[in-house]
Amino acid sequence: MNGIHDLGGMHGLGPVVREENEPVFHEEWERRVFAVLNLTLAAGQYNVDELRHAIERMVPAAYLESPYYEHWLHAAEDLLDAKGVVTEEELTRRAAEIVKRSSAEPGRAHEPPRAAAAPGSTPDAARKRGK
Amino acid sequence: MPALPKEQVRAAIRAGLSARAEVATPPRFKAGERVVARNIHPLGHTRLPRYARGKRGVVQRHHGGFVFPDTRAHGLGDQPQHLYNIRFEARELWGEGASERDGVYLDLWESYLEAEGST
Repeated sequence: MNGIHDLGGMHGLGPVVREENEPVFHEEWERRVFAVLNLTLAAGQYNVDELRHAIERMVPAAYLESPYYEHWLHAAEDLLDAKGVVTEEELTRRAAEIVKRSSAEPGRAHEPPRAAAAPGSTPDAARKRGK
Repeated sequence: MPALPKEQVRAAIRAGLSARAEVATPPRFKAGERVVARNIHPLGHTRLPRYARGKRGVVQRHHGGFVFPDTRAHGLGDQPQHLYNIRFEARELWGEGASERDGVYLDLWESYLEAEGST
């Protein structure tokens, strides 16, 4: 599909950011998303091409404004829902529980899993440019 | 699709799994041959980027047979095809303002390609 993922040749997305000694994961939630994706793949829930296509189907503006592992999370939620492994209602309920619990703990106010950055200017978005 | 046996999961996550597969037909192209990427706009998944469609390139090497993402993404099976590495000159892709020395190398499945002059 001619989707937002196919950015090759587009202008205006900012420089490709190269980090010195870049960590494998920038946030703990990224490590978890990596595990969820790999284990659901290993469990035979879907293949890597279905995953890529699920990312391609993201709302274009949301794709550009979200970091790399959020794309993975979107794909997992989309496909696990489509295949009847979890329902959207279950996901929403569980997410609400976690938000409630973490905001109740002192010093652990809930923050969305996203670095504050202008749309398209995150390192992940910039890296995507050349992909 | 079948689940991976438990003892293979760690290795698969560390190294990835091979997407190589047998193709019954002989490869249509060989290294050095001039090809054109087809100007296709499928609504489903494809690994042929827009900027290469309709552009001319030269086959660098034949990788062998590989499963086809365009069908696998839609539950239509592996349908393996020959995979080739193609060099596209930067000027072919980006116009005369691009460097005459640069090129972009893409791994492309056989059905994305036509022999130059065949269409």
